[in-house]
Amino acid sequence: MAERKLWEVSKTLSPRIRRLRDYYFMDEEREFQNNVMSFTTGIPNDVVYQIMDFVSVPDMLGGVLQANRDGLAAMATRLDLPTDFWDQPLVIRKALFFQKVLQEIPVNILNDELIVGGRFCTSLSTCLTEEETEEFTRIEAELIDKSQRILSLGLSCGGVTPGHIIQNHAKVLQEGFRGIKEEVEGYLKRPASEAKMEFLRAVIICCDAIVEFSHRYAEEARRLAKAETETRRKEELLKIAEVCDWVPHNPARTFHEALQATWFSHMVEMIAESYPGPGISYGRLDQYLYPFYKRDLEEGQLNREEMMELFQCFSIKHNYAYDYQTTGGPHGRNAGFGQLITLGGQGSNGEDLTNDLTYLVLDSFQELNMLEPKLNLRIHSGTPKELMLRVCQMIRDTQGSPLILNFDSVVIEALKGEGMSYEDAVDYGVVGCLENTAQGKDTSGTVDVHFNVAKSVELALGDGKDWLTGERLGVETGDPLEFESFEQVMQAYKQQLRATIEHVTEITSACDALRGKYVPCPFLSAVIDGCVEKGRDIRDGGAIYNFTTFNGVGIATATDSLAAIKKIVFEDKRLTMAELLQALRGDFEGKEDMRQMLITKAPKFGNDDDYVDSIAREIFRFWCREVSQYVTPTGKRFRAGYLSWNHFIHDGAFTAATPNGRRAGEPLSNGASPSQGCDVKGPTAAMKSVARLGFDLLPSGASHVMTINPTALETDEQLEKFAALLRTYNELGGASLQLNVIDAETLRDAQRNPESYENLMVRITGYNAYFVGLSRVLQDEVIARIEHRL
Amino acid sequence: MNREAHREKGLVFSIQRYSTEDGPGIRTTVFMKGCPLRCLWCHNPEGQEFLPRIAFNSSRCIGCKGCVDACPQGAINFTADGPRTDRGKCQNCGKCADVCPTGARELIGKYMTADEAFSEVERDILFYRNSGGGVTVGGGEPTAQPRFLVEFLKKCHEQGIHTALDTSGYVEWGEMEEILKHVDLVLYDIKQIDPAKHADYTGVSNELILENARRISSKGIPMIIRAPVIPGYTDGEDNIRDIMEFVSVLESVAKVDLLPFHRLGEPKYKKLDRNYEFECAQPPTDAHMQKLKRLVESFGLQTKVISK
Repeated sequence: MAERKLWEVSKTLSPRIRRLRDYYFMDEEREFQNNVMSFTTGIPNDVVYQIMDFVSVPDMLGGVLQANRDGLAAMATRLDLPTDFWDQPLVIRKALFFQKVLQEIPVNILNDELIVGGRFCTSLSTCLTEEETEEFTRIEAELIDKSQRILSLGLSCGGVTPGHIIQNHAKVLQEGFRGIKEEVEGYLKRPASEAKMEFLRAVIICCDAIVEFSHRYAEEARRLAKAETETRRKEELLKIAEVCDWVPHNPARTFHEALQATWFSHMVEMIAESYPGPGISYGRLDQYLYPFYKRDLEEGQLNREEMMELFQCFSIKHNYAYDYQTTGGPHGRNAGFGQLITLGGQGSNGEDLTNDLTYLVLDSFQELNMLEPKLNLRIHSGTPKELMLRVCQMIRDTQGSPLILNFDSVVIEALKGEGMSYEDAVDYGVVGCLENTAQGKDTSGTVDVHFNVAKSVELALGDGKDWLTGERLGVETGDPLEFESFEQVMQAYKQQLRATIEHVTEITSACDALRGKYVPCPFLSAVIDGCVEKGRDIRDGGAIYNFTTFNGVGIATATDSLAAIKKIVFEDKRLTMAELLQALRGDFEGKEDMRQMLITKAPKFGNDDDYVDSIAREIFRFWCREVSQYVTPTGKRFRAGYLSWNHFIHDGAFTAATPNGRRAGEPLSNGASPSQGCDVKGPTAAMKSVARLGFDLLPSGASHVMTINPTALETDEQLEKFAALLRTYNELGGASLQLNVIDAETLRDAQRNPESYENLMVRITGYNAYFVGLSRVLQDEVIARIEHRL
Repeated sequence: MNREAHREKGLVFSIQRYSTEDGPGIRTTVFMKGCPLRCLWCHNPEGQEFLPRIAFNSSRCIGCKGCVDACPQGAINFTADGPRTDRGKCQNCGKCADVCPTGARELIGKYMTADEAFSEVERDILFYRNSGGGVTVGGGEPTAQPRFLVEFLKKCHEQGIHTALDTSGYVEWGEMEEILKHVDLVLYDIKQIDPAKHADYTGVSNELILENARRISSKGIPMIIRAPVIPGYTDGEDNIRDIMEFVSVLESVAKVDLLPFHRLGEPKYKKLDRNYEFECAQPPTDAHMQKLKRLVESFGLQTKVISK
């Protein structure tokens, strides 16, 4: 058996790629830094940083956001704007300002690189007049207060977030910005309202701006070529100049041009949104780039190695988003910025769309061992065996974590369910982490809201009050001591959910209205279908599909808690409601036996047990339907998702002890996953429980994390079994899956906290055994062996 | 509780899903409690007796003493080391496990009807279908509960579920033949060819076992031979060679699994208040296992080491 290694960079990278990668990892030592550049119109109190963009981030509670705004305003470059700038409507001002930024922002071509485009971390002025700024910041302050209140009570975040979108890259490649501009000009010739005309003119300015920007890169390449003494690099630079002269203005003709156009459009969107990376995703890149790949290969223009090198040049660039962290927020490089590429999946006739490029992207990803871009693989019933095995291997060899699987079967159904056409649903792409959207025509705000569904258990057991502060957060549902049946508990729970959901939608709706009015984004509107046709900015409901996503957090915590009340209090009568409440109020202090009993004597979600899974399904579906009734003022319908992101930790910190035996402050369950360590019947049972929630009502998708020991993925036979497991999850209606292939450190943690790792399987000697069931000596042996292998 | 009262039921001590080493595809393994053999190295001691047994996992005990009060026999004393069970007095009624808040006390073994057991394994039918998997019955010794076993396997077959029997082969042929009607694959343990040694190590002679192996093979039912490699007992090259000489003439043997000794059974002995005789034994080295593997292959048999 081969020694297992941690995932690391391939030794067979080309020298060029090796150098580019090494250069990136020089970090602060690099001459090139993609630092945030802020730009202002120069008016007093100009808003150059959108606090609302980040109110969903729990780490940014308190004054951090205001400090970022102040800091970026202080260091902002004042742009020299046209004299009639302030006579223009807002959307035109935004476009002109954006154009000016693209004229000013430094152009950098790094030594050795073939795909160019360096600085993209920006913080752009909102371009509001003084009066507008005053109104904007006044409303904004009220909303921030409301949003921060619910966040600090652990109920929810509620805001509107940029990014998390897939632009119409296929259109940029096929028509170029020349074609997009011509289309806009066509609309301008038709009679329309002044507001629409202004919007369309703004879009045209943006189309010109990006083309001008690419020409600056062409110039820079020629300048460098002139000074270059090495013939080969000189030729490369001249080639780069030729490419940047042509795209993204014109339709791409080659794989090289296609990659360069795609990168330009991607990086310029980050500039336009002042949002470097998070969730700005590519969709099905292996589909829209494939014709160029195929043609170049067939015509003998490039071989696979050369294409790989180009693709890796393109890939490395995405990692420069992390340079934002130094000025943009507290996250380290470990924070996932989530520039996703969607691979594989089915076509509209159910056919499989895997191609050579799919494999090239997978290979590239595994060779590079870098954080960005990230990959999502769409699995459907016709995914070829070869791809399944390749992916299972990769999950094993990369410790699983970076690759997420999305399952076509239920995702397509759920997207149709939210009103998407079959053709668009079947052609979906993935943004952020695992969130499903249409490509090039959809704004879904997939991380706008993260809502704690376990908090309503606390509220239902506290007559609507937050236990920690005593603040009224929900509605009066009565003294829990007077509940005579489980049905009454459930009723109270649903009432609390309903009331708090409504409250959060009000906040998000108000944020959306403010953004719709004051924060247009004409560049993004150029590359999202619907905006030009409707003559409406994307922020104001211009896209074909307009949504804001309401993510649930802590479904298993809520479910297990309700199941414990049903079983322990009302059925087995092991505890009275009074005893339970007392134990919860006292955070189980001196009541460890009671806490353990709640853990072991009541069924837990994740074990294919109908008793508890039916409760999960009931509250899940109630919640999904409740959420999707609301619509924001710009016409964005709330849609359901189950991405916890890191809110399951934050919200847990502000949630009282729960009847499932969870202590106050401990994390909630993650995404749609079972509570930590509670799925003790293995992966098949966990998959069945999670799928039973009914993801047909959940278009955005659900995070489900499973931990697998590497020893369960060693032989080809095991990989085949694992592939069958994944196929079956698709059939069962799983939405997505993320796998952790466990390491020694985690095993050590399992020794310290065995109760959280009951489901951890190790395959040491021929069969799967539960790690925590082993003697200490054996556990140490296992760890030692794994360490040895690392 | 006695065995007679549960004549129609099977005594099951574990049902393990996503079992990947007990036959082809994704499987569920049903472990039956009770075994006529007493292999010295047994790694499933909780599967030996034909009655439910109380097990105690001391690392989980929080010292609440609930078990002491709950025991109708007064068999549990609370000592400085936690609760101690007087196994002579304990009737294995399970009342202590019922009150134990942490699950440190657990009643191992549950009487189930074939329907009940089937409704558990049926839950993963989709996984079996997509992986070419199915159900494996092991133990303990499943053939020791033939009535339940036949009914259970029959139900599996009626639903098109592939069945595998993991057995020591120590059962009267008439019973075995009845069972085999509903078995697609036999995982057959052969531990030792020398009958005297076999009796020493397992408590029974191997004549019936070897004879049954020949009979199963002559019925054409696919077999995988499983040979445990136990240091100082069955790990010698001679023994493995003897086994292979026997096996190589059995026509239905598809392959041979070599199962190196491990100490995973150790905590289970402790939980049952039993002594573990193999505390100092070391698993065979990789080199030795590779040597045995080559030896097996020299008989033209496909083999794998079911190990790390």
